Amino acid sequence: MTLPEFFGCTFIAFGPPFALFVFTIANDPVRIIILIAAAFFWLLSLLLSSLLWFAIIPLRDVLAFGVFFSVVFQECFRYIIYRILRSTEQGLQAVAEDTRVTDNKHILSYVSGLGFGIISGMFALVNVLADMSGPGTMGLKSGTELFFVTSAAQALSIILLHTFWSVIFFNACDTNNYLHIAYVIGSHLFVSLLTLLNASELYTATLLTNYIITILTGLLAFRVAGGTSRSFKKFVTCQ
Amino acid sequence: MEKRVQAAAIWLLMLLHGAAVAQGERTRDKMYQSIVGAGCFRRLNGTHQTGCSSTHAGSVGVLHLIKVEADLEFLLASPPSPPYAPMIPPHLFTRQNLLRLIEAGPKNISVVLLINKPDSMKQFSHELNCPNQYSSLNNSETCDASNPATSWNPWGTGLLHEDFPFPIYYIADTEEITKLEKCFEKFNNFEYETHALRSLCAVEVKSFMSAAVSSEVCIRRTRFINNLSGSKYCDPLEGRNVYATVYPRNIKTDDSEVNDIITRERFILVSCRLDTASMFDGVGLGAMDSLVGLAILTQVANLLRQLLPPQSSLPDTKRNVLFVTFNGESYDYIGSQRFVYDVERFAFPKASARRAPITFDNIEFMLDIGTLDDIANIKLHALSGTPLAQKLLQQLNSYAQSPRYGFNLNIQSEMSYHIPPTSAQSFLRRDPRFPALILNAKPANKYYHSIYDDVENVAFTYANTSQDFTMLLDVSNTKGFRADSLQMKVRNVSSIVAMALFETLTGKEYTGSKVANPVLSDEFFYCFLLSADCPLFKAASYPGSPKGLPMPPMRYVSVLGGPQESSGWTYRVLGYLLSQQQPKIPKDNCTVLPLHYFAGFNGAGECRLTTQNYSSALSPAFLIDDYDWRSGNYSTWTESTWSLFSARIFLRPSSVHQITTLSVGIVVLILSFCLVYIISSRSEVLFEDLPASNAALPPPTAC
Repeated sequence: MTLPEFFGCTFIAFGPPFALFVFTIANDPVRIIILIAAAFFWLLSLLLSSLLWFAIIPLRDVLAFGVFFSVVFQECFRYIIYRILRSTEQGLQAVAEDTRVTDNKHILSYVSGLGFGIISGMFALVNVLADMSGPGTMGLKSGTELFFVTSAAQALSIILLHTFWSVIFFNACDTNNYLHIAYVIGSHLFVSLLTLLNASELYTATLLTNYIITILTGLLAFRVAGGTSRSFKKFVTCQ
Repeated sequence: MEKRVQAAAIWLLMLLHGAAVAQGERTRDKMYQSIVGAGCFRRLNGTHQTGCSSTHAGSVGVLHLIKVEADLEFLLASPPSPPYAPMIPPHLFTRQNLLRLIEAGPKNISVVLLINKPDSMKQFSHELNCPNQYSSLNNSETCDASNPATSWNPWGTGLLHEDFPFPIYYIADTEEITKLEKCFEKFNNFEYETHALRSLCAVEVKSFMSAAVSSEVCIRRTRFINNLSGSKYCDPLEGRNVYATVYPRNIKTDDSEVNDIITRERFILVSCRLDTASMFDGVGLGAMDSLVGLAILTQVANLLRQLLPPQSSLPDTKRNVLFVTFNGESYDYIGSQRFVYDVERFAFPKASARRAPITFDNIEFMLDIGTLDDIANIKLHALSGTPLAQKLLQQLNSYAQSPRYGFNLNIQSEMSYHIPPTSAQSFLRRDPRFPALILNAKPANKYYHSIYDDVENVAFTYANTSQDFTMLLDVSNTKGFRADSLQMKVRNVSSIVAMALFETLTGKEYTGSKVANPVLSDEFFYCFLLSADCPLFKAASYPGSPKGLPMPPMRYVSVLGGPQESSGWTYRVLGYLLSQQQPKIPKDNCTVLPLHYFAGFNGAGECRLTTQNYSSALSPAFLIDDYDWRSGNYSTWTESTWSLFSARIFLRPSSVHQITTLSVGIVVLILSFCLVYIISSRSEVLFEDLPASNAALPPPTAC
């Protein structure tokens, strides 16, 4: 049994999101509700994508087609959840015990982004994890042993990316920054299409590119959320 | 700028490539490859369990090909990455090797694969040296396992009666074997020292058996009042005996008593074995060990049906011949024990057959056809040299040696306790004075009760003559069969037996020139060894009934609800050959037994008056309340239930790889917890600027 492998990969993919959840979400009921709501909206986008895939029979085998429209649907739902959150802001303020949620707009976008990311990462990895709990590992016909670790790392990057994207996207919608919106959609599409290369086992290329984009997006989100190099310096030097 | 365009073009190309290659495929399908084969399963008797079972989740072992005996040493000495799954060719599948593998324990050896590479095989029989030893006559002379000269299966290893701590899987298909060998060569067959450090090609066999310990225990668990789940742990081995008579017997009228025995009826009981056995589920034809006997019985039936005059013109008009094929004989004579049990209780034939019960007083004598491996060495066995035995021997030999027929056989006799393991043992056990005569040849079958007792073992080639197989032929007409062919051997022996029985019944010497038809044997063996979709089975079925499967019928006795293919086909064939045509009865009136409508040789359809029927072959041990399972009186074999047989190969990850993955995961988890805690606790410092989006929005209204 490769239970050790199963737990290793689960920790890699879901350890960081779990830590984020424990320290930043779990102590505020409003945030939990928003997280779940965001996850639900991501599921709706998945439903639409699968309906489209199901309906257009000749293109079922062309994964790139499905990927493209799935990204489009996800971004549409990101916009929808943005509209909903912004329109319910007043109500939220009324019920929220912790006023930070409404004081700082980025918390809402961060929470909904994490919700998006966690559910997306789950759907990306659960099938693989389920197959992993058997006695075997990858590599009999094709693929390498690193397949599972790579999948887990990929899922982690997608979870983080979704969080960053939401922060950037919500802010860009508030400020009509179309360049940022274009960046979010463009990088999402790029990262998703990049995973298709995994079929040819170009794991290093895809993972490396993926994480470079994750870091860049993370930096952008940091800037958008009000971080500067000065504040970072202060943070690091514990002032 | 140009460079950027170039880079973009490369990315675009790679993405297009990815889009073309990427196909939706389940990860599992990439990891596992299933292997088709047959599994060894668990059988239990009153005191022991035999056979194999995997662990509940499936047994996993690293593949290791055994080419020569020395390869086993590698696995037995100090295997680097246990447990292993040796792939053993039949010539190394010996008792000694298997016992060593058992001794190595499930920690080192978890699965054994038997691969179908019979090139160097000289013998392969896993039955005991003395088959059915404990339900035969209790006499040291009957069979001595330690003495090959007097044992009935000198090549037997007895592995069929061992309990294995690992599953054994038989892989017959060459393609599947190639798959296994390729996987072994690619991943395992180099640098044995580093086995523990790398992923190895492994096999998983799932064949978990739910029964354990003994029939007594598992029947008790199944019947147990607390067994609320209603699940069965084992089933008794159970089948159907098939019987038929040469002359139809009178149908009882309703007013006659149930046990109204007709004391004047006299039967000559001609019997043989219907079933066979092997170690693996669904494999094993039993060509030489029992099918030859069944073929001879069928031929004798056909001959006598056509040679004998009407019953009313016999010297004794109450004489008849009863043909019985006993099922489950491989497992301590289930069929014949039940037959004896029923006859003692006036329960044969069963009440629904509406015929008068037959008693032992009705049976004039029994002629049992045993294994006839080598027809040049046939002996007539009996416990004592009675006048009856002497007379039959003399009759048999007069036809066997007669220059008129040119069979040129010599049937010897042995009147002693050295009795072969055939159905007659059940009768002699009840009463040693029972007039049982057994035709049996010197054991020469090196593949007794095994998967290799097949077409090649009896050297059968199908002539496919498409000629009428029911009619008798002149002795000189061999239909082109060679004198040493299986078809001719069966023709000769069955003609001799039938002629001797003819003389016994009519009191006159047989002087005709008609003998058995080798085409019938040809068709018979084709049906039972190659394909049930065959002319003989078709002729013996109702016209237009579904065709048989294009594979030989299963001849293992099986359990209640099992396929029962061979008894079903034997019922039809005996019914067809032992019936009398009724040309005057139209098809519409030919619906109620004993009238039955057959397709016939040409498929036109014919109404016939039949005599065949089934009787139960379930051991009396399962009928008797509070039966003492240890008494050894009756067969107690049961078969464990199981949910599936499956085998698949895959890469088993090395423990190093697993531990690395797990440690990386744990490190990531701990690191992220620390990092997130630090960031969230000091987030005010990190995000000091007023968020831009907040400024753009209207300030919140006062609550």
